Parts: sequence; C-alpha cells; structure tokens
Amino acid sequence: MFKKLLRKDFVLCVALGANVNNADEWLKYAEKQMRGDRSRAEMVMTIQTPNWTRTLEIESDVEGKKQALSTIKSPAKERGIRTLRIENNMWNYFPKLKRKVAVSSSMLLASWMGSDFTNDDILKASSMAEDYHHKFSSDEKVGGETYKVIENTAKTNSKVMWPKIMTYASKKDCLPRIYKYYDKEGKLRRTLTFSDIKTFDGHKVPTHWEMVPEDDKSKKTVVDYKDIDFNVKFKPSHFSQKSLTDN
Amino acid sequence: MRLALCLFILLIGARVHAEIETDFSGNVEGQFRHSQNNEEAKEDLFQDWDTENFRMLYGNINGKVEFGDSRIEANWFSRYSQSPLFDPGPTIFGERDPYLATRIFTFPNKLVARDIFKLQHKKQEDEYQFESVLNKLYYEWDYEGHRFMFGRMYVNYGLGEIFNPINPFNQPTALTSVSQVAQGNDGFSFTFFVDDKHTIQFLLLGDKRIEGYDGQIDKTLWAHGEYLVSDDLQLDYVIGEDQERHKLGGQVSYQLEDALVFTQVLYQSENVKDEPSDHLWDILVGYDRQMTAKWHIRFEGGYQKADSFLNAENLERFLPTEYFVALANVYEIHPLVKLNGTVINDIKSGFSYLITKATYNFYSNMEVEVFGYAPVSKGDDPENIAQKLVTTDVGLAIRAFF
Repeated sequence: MFKKLLRKDFVLCVALGANVNNADEWLKYAEKQMRGDRSRAEMVMTIQTPNWTRTLEIESDVEGKKQALSTIKSPAKERGIRTLRIENNMWNYFPKLKRKVAVSSSMLLASWMGSDFTNDDILKASSMAEDYHHKFSSDEKVGGETYKVIENTAKTNSKVMWPKIMTYASKKDCLPRIYKYYDKEGKLRRTLTFSDIKTFDGHKVPTHWEMVPEDDKSKKTVVDYKDIDFNVKFKPSHFSQKSLTDN
Repeated sequence: MRLALCLFILLIGARVHAEIETDFSGNVEGQFRHSQNNEEAKEDLFQDWDTENFRMLYGNINGKVEFGDSRIEANWFSRYSQSPLFDPGPTIFGERDPYLATRIFTFPNKLVARDIFKLQHKKQEDEYQFESVLNKLYYEWDYEGHRFMFGRMYVNYGLGEIFNPINPFNQPTALTSVSQVAQGNDGFSFTFFVDDKHTIQFLLLGDKRIEGYDGQIDKTLWAHGEYLVSDDLQLDYVIGEDQERHKLGGQVSYQLEDALVFTQVLYQSENVKDEPSDHLWDILVGYDRQMTAKWHIRFEGGYQKADSFLNAENLERFLPTEYFVALANVYEIHPLVKLNGTVINDIKSGFSYLITKATYNFYSNMEVEVFGYAPVSKGDDPENIAQKLVTTDVGLAIRAFF
C-alpha cells in the first residue's frame, strides 16, 4: 500500500511538471503545491528556548507573490495586529490605537515577533521559484533518506534576504524537506525542516515547520498549520488599506 | 449626551441585520517612579522639591461590537496616581496647585481633545489624583468604498514618532511611559477609499483646549489624503482649518532599498479671527532602517516655529523644541527582551534628553519595563520653561494584557 502511494505521489509530481532533470520545475512544482495562487492559512507559532515557550496564533492570507495580509489572533497583547504587504510596500496596523504605520522594506529581514522567522517568511515576500536561479547538486543522504539537492542562488535584480538557499527535496513526492539559508559570506545561518505532509484542497503541504538558527541551536521556532484553504475567494478590496484597518 | 446615546441606539437598531461579534480586550499597568528635580525648576519656577516618588495605576478596557458592516467601539481609560507632588502645601499666599512635574509624569494627561460629550471625570485631592475617561466611543459603518464614523475617535496617521506635525489630533507618545493610550476626538469622519492607491479622510471635529474650557467650540474641518504614487513613493496631504488657523501640508515617504525616508511640511496661517499671531512652519525629516534582524534605528530632525504671541504656558508642545534632532534605537537582545534608547537634542540651546527602556516579556500576556528619563546636557536657553522643568527619573512598570 505504502509503495503504491509513493509511486502515485511521484508520478503525480512528475506529471504536474516536476521534471526530474529540471531543477526549475522541481521548485515551481513545490511552490505551486505549498503556496497555490491564493490561500488562507491558520497557524500556530511556538517559539521555544530551554527556559521558556511562547505561542502565537496567526491567520495569513496570501494572493500571488505581491499581496499578503496577516492577523495575529493571540496572545492578547498582540491580538488584532495586522500586517499588509502590497508589492514592496508594507504597513503594520495596531487596532487598539487605530494606528497604521508604513514600514521600511528593510523590516522584511527583521525577526517576526521575536521568532526565528522574519517578516519576509511570514508575508511570503520572496518566491523561491521566481527570485532564484536553480541547479541540482549531488544527492545527499540525511537521516536515512536520500534527497534531491537543489542550489538556489538569488537573481541579481531580486530583492531577497538570502543570497543562497539549499533545498533538500524528497524523491518520493518532490516536496522540500529541508531549506538551508546562507548569508553573503556563504555561512549557514538557519535551517528550516518540513514534516507531517497533509493535503488541503488538492495541495500537498508540510504542516509542521521547524526553524533552527545556527548561532543558537538550543532555540527554535515551530509553525504548525491547522488549516489551509486554497479555494478561498478574497474580495477585490481584501488586500487594501480599507481591509487593513477594518478590525 | 442623551441625544448622542439615542442616536447610537437608533443607528444600532437600523443596522442590526447580521451576526453580532463582540471582542473585549485591555491592559492594566502599575508604575513606580523615583524622580529628582531640576535645579533650575527649584530656583526659577518655585518647584521647591528635591527627590520624590510617584506611583500610578492605570488601565484600558476596550470593547467592540460588530454587526454586518457596522461597528461600535469604546475604550475606557482610568488612572490613579499618588505622590506628595500633588500636594505642595500652602504658602503665605494660600493653597498651591500640584507641582508641574505631575503633569509630565501623567503625560499624555489630555486624553480627549475637547470633551464635547462630557465623558470624563477627574478628581485631585491631597496626594491623589483619579481620572476616568471614555476616550473612544464611536459608531462606524463601512459601505463599499466608504467608511463613516461618528462619536469619539482616535485619528492616527503620519510617520513621525517624536514630532508629527501633519497630525494635530494625537500627541506623539515617544516621551511617555504609558502604553496603549491615544487621544480621543469628538465629531465625524468620512473616509473615501478612491482606489487601491488613494484614500481621503474628511474630518469635522471639535477643537483642542487646555482643561476646563467650556466656551464656544471652534470647528475643525480637515482633509487627509494618502496617495501611493508608485511602488516606492507615497504622498500624504492635509488641508483644513484647525485651532483657528488654516493649515496646509503633507508628507512624502520613499522606500529605499534598505530604508524608509520621509519628510513632512506643515504651513499654518495667522489666526483666522484676526487675533495677534504669526504664520507658522513645521518641518520634519526622518530615516527609518532595520539594520540587522535585531537592531532597528530611526532618525528624526525638524523645525517648529513657535508663535511669538503665545506665552509659554499656552504652548501645546512639551518637547521637542524649535530645532531638534532625535535618534532612536531598538535592540532585541533576546526574543523576550528589548532595549530602547532615544536621545533628543535641541540644536539651538544644546539641551539633550535621554529616554531608555528595557522591556521584558514574561508569561504570554505580561511584561515588565525598567525606564529612565534624564536631561543629559543642560540647555542655555533661559526662556525655555519645558527644559527647566524636566526631571531625572528612574522607574519600574508591570503590565498585563487581556
């Protein structure tokens, strides 16, 4: 049964465009599966260190690469805070004070709410498929599984945080299991691992993400997707100033 | 007041046609501050105290009811303050008002621009002061590309944190130790979302007055627009009549590759009722950048012309002064700990003011803050009362959010 499933997944991902000899197709397929054209996701983020744990609940709406709106659902201190991104422009909205603040695009590299994720990660500002060149590296075996390894290097005109990202994709379903992020000096800065793949509206998505910074491996940030709706229909004005300020 | 309530009830009745959603939130904070007086305040302004303690307990309760495209939202702010500084003791000339430092410690102490609807209570007795105010209570209705608001509302826009001249409806709170506080303004607001790039807000509000003013209400007619000129460039414009002056100005903000730069200019005419006054100009330039994932900086510099016909006690601004530069740094040394340091310098007099804060989040909804305020270099402007009054303070605050 398991073998049949594996075979079915593999055939499916190849059939959908993840040509086994084309790294671009692998990344496009993965992004299509995980991002879709638009989505509404409910997730729980847990920031963990040896001494404490902090949990946030977030709703994240994304349409294409250019529009995103995230809302913090809990805890109480941050509840209702929204972030809207339209192309390069980003605004934070603090509903208790009715205050909207334009945010510098440099804030995309800022830590999001003290987590190991950045604003860029949460708002999905960059696209692995569109903003990077891709090429295969040698396959690597990690934890008993051999992965297809893809080296992603930032295109010269793309506004991305990480000049190089290594993708470790499963040969079973073509989806990534590990991202390794490198800085300008070529130093590994953080590692994101994916697991617990579930299907939402026909999209296969890893629902358990763990981000570990290389400079302090005793801490990590875990994101668990509770639900993702890929069939959501947003109003034309959903990613707008009006929508940002209506809570 | 009754009229306002009846109108609210009618509006609610007219709009109830969908599922009702409610939300309640708020915060409570206890604060202790140890303060040392400025020598010049003792000598020149009869503020004859050396060191003193100040305690404050305040809270906000925010309630929201949403039904369909309508919303009613309210915020109740209460503050209880205690310090011997509220009770200076009599002189041979009689009772004295509380020492002026109490006004700085309770800044912002004016949480409603003009209390047209009479929704605040303030009592000061011996060493105690109690304030209770409904500083937000409005009805809002969204209709397609429009938003209508009526009641007591917050009006918050503009990028300036130290100085924000294009927005006369809220005082910048960079100098205050209180959180989640904004000033309410009574009146109407109509917002027209023209398209994805252009929004215009029209405001008809009351005026702003120092406490205890029951005279004629001068209207505030105001328009604020935001226009996204390009992917990187946003233009804000303001035009209207406020505080008996015609005002015209705007803000330009531009996204550089790794920073946000912005500038504001505001022109204010002479008094429209021909009372003696000057033309005024306010200018601000700012730079905001996330240096690393943990370190954020902001620079603001500006000029605000003071009206030579106003005596100092009627000036609405505490700091900054005529010419100023300010640099703010926020550094996250730990996911739960943020350090915040701001220094403001009055270029003309050389006066510098330092604000430091260390905030530690513990549990999910509580934080503790250690703060300090200090004039780090004295100014040489003998006329500037605000600079003479500034105290040196250290304090501790504990906040809970619900």
